[in-house]
Amino acid sequence: MSADLINRATQAVELARNAGAQDAWATASQGRDVVFEYRDGKLEKVKDTTSRNLAIKVYAAGRYSSHRTTDLKPDRLKGFINEAVAITRALEPDEYRRITPAALFENRPGDDLDLVDANVETLDRDRRVNWCKAIDEVAHGHERVISATAGVYDGTSTSASASSNGFVGERRSTYCWLGTQITLKDQGDKRASDSFYAGGAHIADLPDAAMIGKTALERALSRLDSRKGPTVRTSMLVDSRAAASLIGRLLRPANARSVQQGRSFWASLIGEQAFSDKLTIIDDPLIRRGLASRHYDGEGISAKVLPIIENGVIRNIYVDTYYGRKGDMAPTTGTPSNRRIEPGRYSLPELFREVGDGVYVTSWLGGNANATTGDFSLGLRGHMIENGEIGAPVSEMNVTGNLRDLFGRLELVGNDPYPYSTTLAPSLVFAGVDFSGV
Amino acid sequence: MTIKRREFLGHVAAGSAVLSMPAFLSACGIQQATAVGDTTPENPFMDWFGVDQATVARVMSELTANGADAADLYFQHRRTNTLMLEDGIVSSARSGIEQGVGLRVVIGDQTGYAFTEDLALPSMLAAARTASAIASRSRVVSPQAFSPKHMGDLYTTSVPWADVGIDRKLPLLKFVESKAKALDAAVEKVAVYWADQDERVMIATLEGSLVTDHRPMTRVTLTVTAKKGDEIQSGYSNIAARQDFNWYTEERLSTMVKEAVDRTMILFDARRPPAGEMPVILAAGASGILLHEAIGHGMEADFNRKGTSIYSDMMGKKVAEPFVTVVDQATIPRERGALNYDDEGNKTGRTVMVENGILKSYLHDRISARQYDLKPTGSGRRQSYKFAPMPRMTCTFMEDGPHTRDEIIAAVDYGIICETYTNGQVQIGAGDFTFYVKNGWLIEKGKVTAPIKDVNIIGNGPECLKRITMVANDARLDTGGWTCGKNGQRVPVSQGIPTVLVSNMTVGGESVS
Repeated sequence: MSADLINRATQAVELARNAGAQDAWATASQGRDVVFEYRDGKLEKVKDTTSRNLAIKVYAAGRYSSHRTTDLKPDRLKGFINEAVAITRALEPDEYRRITPAALFENRPGDDLDLVDANVETLDRDRRVNWCKAIDEVAHGHERVISATAGVYDGTSTSASASSNGFVGERRSTYCWLGTQITLKDQGDKRASDSFYAGGAHIADLPDAAMIGKTALERALSRLDSRKGPTVRTSMLVDSRAAASLIGRLLRPANARSVQQGRSFWASLIGEQAFSDKLTIIDDPLIRRGLASRHYDGEGISAKVLPIIENGVIRNIYVDTYYGRKGDMAPTTGTPSNRRIEPGRYSLPELFREVGDGVYVTSWLGGNANATTGDFSLGLRGHMIENGEIGAPVSEMNVTGNLRDLFGRLELVGNDPYPYSTTLAPSLVFAGVDFSGV
Repeated sequence: MTIKRREFLGHVAAGSAVLSMPAFLSACGIQQATAVGDTTPENPFMDWFGVDQATVARVMSELTANGADAADLYFQHRRTNTLMLEDGIVSSARSGIEQGVGLRVVIGDQTGYAFTEDLALPSMLAAARTASAIASRSRVVSPQAFSPKHMGDLYTTSVPWADVGIDRKLPLLKFVESKAKALDAAVEKVAVYWADQDERVMIATLEGSLVTDHRPMTRVTLTVTAKKGDEIQSGYSNIAARQDFNWYTEERLSTMVKEAVDRTMILFDARRPPAGEMPVILAAGASGILLHEAIGHGMEADFNRKGTSIYSDMMGKKVAEPFVTVVDQATIPRERGALNYDDEGNKTGRTVMVENGILKSYLHDRISARQYDLKPTGSGRRQSYKFAPMPRMTCTFMEDGPHTRDEIIAAVDYGIICETYTNGQVQIGAGDFTFYVKNGWLIEKGKVTAPIKDVNIIGNGPECLKRITMVANDARLDTGGWTCGKNGQRVPVSQGIPTVLVSNMTVGGESVS
């Protein structure tokens, strides 16, 4: 099967070369994705699909373009690639647009990342339906439940890449996620809702179905009767499951393109003590069974562990070959893999006690951050923290500030990294944060 | 010309010109293909997808072999071309072809779904069998032939994007760049992103109808980075529509450029407003994001048939002042959210969600319409053949009210007016929603005073509707390139609103302490 994909990629490179490209990089992919959704005691949706596509990057006459198609009929594909080369020639030349140097393909790690679980590939209808039923039963375990949708989402993806300068690689991984979203009757017309989804490459790494239903129900119940909290400057405890998205916003401008294009507040901080010394973030593509683990990135650069921030000092940013050349930065990788945030020593209850009084954020609602300046403003829901304990649920509040300033105020780090994300973030405590509410 | 479409495709891939096509070649476009059918005078879209009536009937029969209340085959071909200008040169292009057929069976509120990218009969039959496995009734009678519906004309273009080469697009990107640099000496970097899209869909339904639609789309986005001393600010603007190349007049592009530069330069003087509750004025146009989040999503009938929306039990009730009327309408020519038919093959129209303050209608797809015993509102949409449709918005707006913009500003003692936005979100059940304001102004004692920036606003849908105390007479649709995401599916939408006053919302900002 993957030999077939490698052939397909190699042939696409050949076609591009025959059409006049100096260099080409092709990736052939295919995947199977299955969805089972079960709502309130009944199967609601079954989706079972296989898909495939071919992507090609073309370098011709000092110019570059990239293309993707799902139409793989041989005559069509040949026409598509001929056209891709012609499109490339119609662009303007750019000395920085060159195929990945072969030196960056070297030292590809041989680690067994264990990304394929044969049990995912042989899942049958009964197993999926039984999971749904088990989640559904627990999810309905309260009189306030209006509706609960349980789901199983699994599949396999395979891809192979080949280049005109000697790269050949293949990737294969499985995934399986279980979860449920629950809606409860709340005050007046309001509904309280929350969800819990857990997943991984291997079925053995998943919590059992009943625990998934129970967690989601507890979360939804904790949302009942929430009210708008106060406008106040106080401490913020971000729960581990909400921390990943905040870290994502911090890292969004941490790449060569944003820096070279003048749209990154990181630009002037590289090598500096930019954030609190409590903050260490490592990009780690080699985590066994990791959700974003890989041996090479989309440009063929061999995977390696890359420290982004160490004790608050910016060590590296994400640099692809193009913006690296253009901005005079050595390539690292242009695409994030797993991001590990170095855990601290505090459990969540200890963090509550340390904080004393403040706001506990369990999820975000909308909002954005300005990558150029770091200014952010986010909607949130969560709970008040009172005397070191979890207090009343709050919603319809915003938190506003600047990301550099905020991560300078990181005071405590939990020991509870959230496992069901490509960003493995623990709970985080920030001091002196501006909330708006009543 | 006697070149058949399929041969034509074989030669130049799927219809995107590299350079502008000579007239004799462009005459082979889809409009002319009717005359050159195979053995039967097939629909040109059938010809495009390489299928005929018998094949479609055979697949539909297989799809409904275990019973169906509704079933459809959604054939789609979408070609997207993008260009990027950075640092003064257009040195990157992308193109993509998505082609496939989605097969759906509906029984009650249950859905079986599969798709295939291989349009050969054996692959389509295999996908049909997979999708049909959800059902366990007896075979239904499926049509032997599909009658073509009249094609809509909301966005007929004179020049298909397939015939517009890079040689014509490139100077346009250069024009935008030079115009932006000329407007202010502080502008350091300019990036221009171009996208055009030709999409063909063909929907065959269990009732025996064959709906075809040719959907063009284009968008240009301009990002500007400016520097004053050590301070760097960036801003952007974009315009999008179901239009052809001729839409890009010098005037239209110049307006967009000025907006981007103005929005960027004002950031050097802008501050965060104070945090907390205050009156919020939404300027006409892009502020339609309020309707999209505060009410639109909550009115999508899939949430309501499940009882999970805060609006589930409000039909027929008063939700706003009598001067508030909120509409979702797909039939506005050439708007980004416009659609001749929805992605279930239903004719689109105008759905009044709130009429004179009373909640009037949800947005329905086939499943919810059957459950509520109503006609579908033409709101069933999907991102592509890879997805089953669900109720979605198209062009969502509020109609004019009795006040003027000046009256509204004069009525506010201390608050803000919001002008441009980047994104929004809503919780369907709780009704809490947000939108992120990129640019706006402080209002003090009935006057517009200092610029504000980068602030999130949060409110609750039904409470916010009640608090719309003034609506001006200056309604307009925004021409920005809005995309709506729901359950992992993205679709293009439009939104608009007149200037309105919401008497109280929670504004993110810096604590006064």
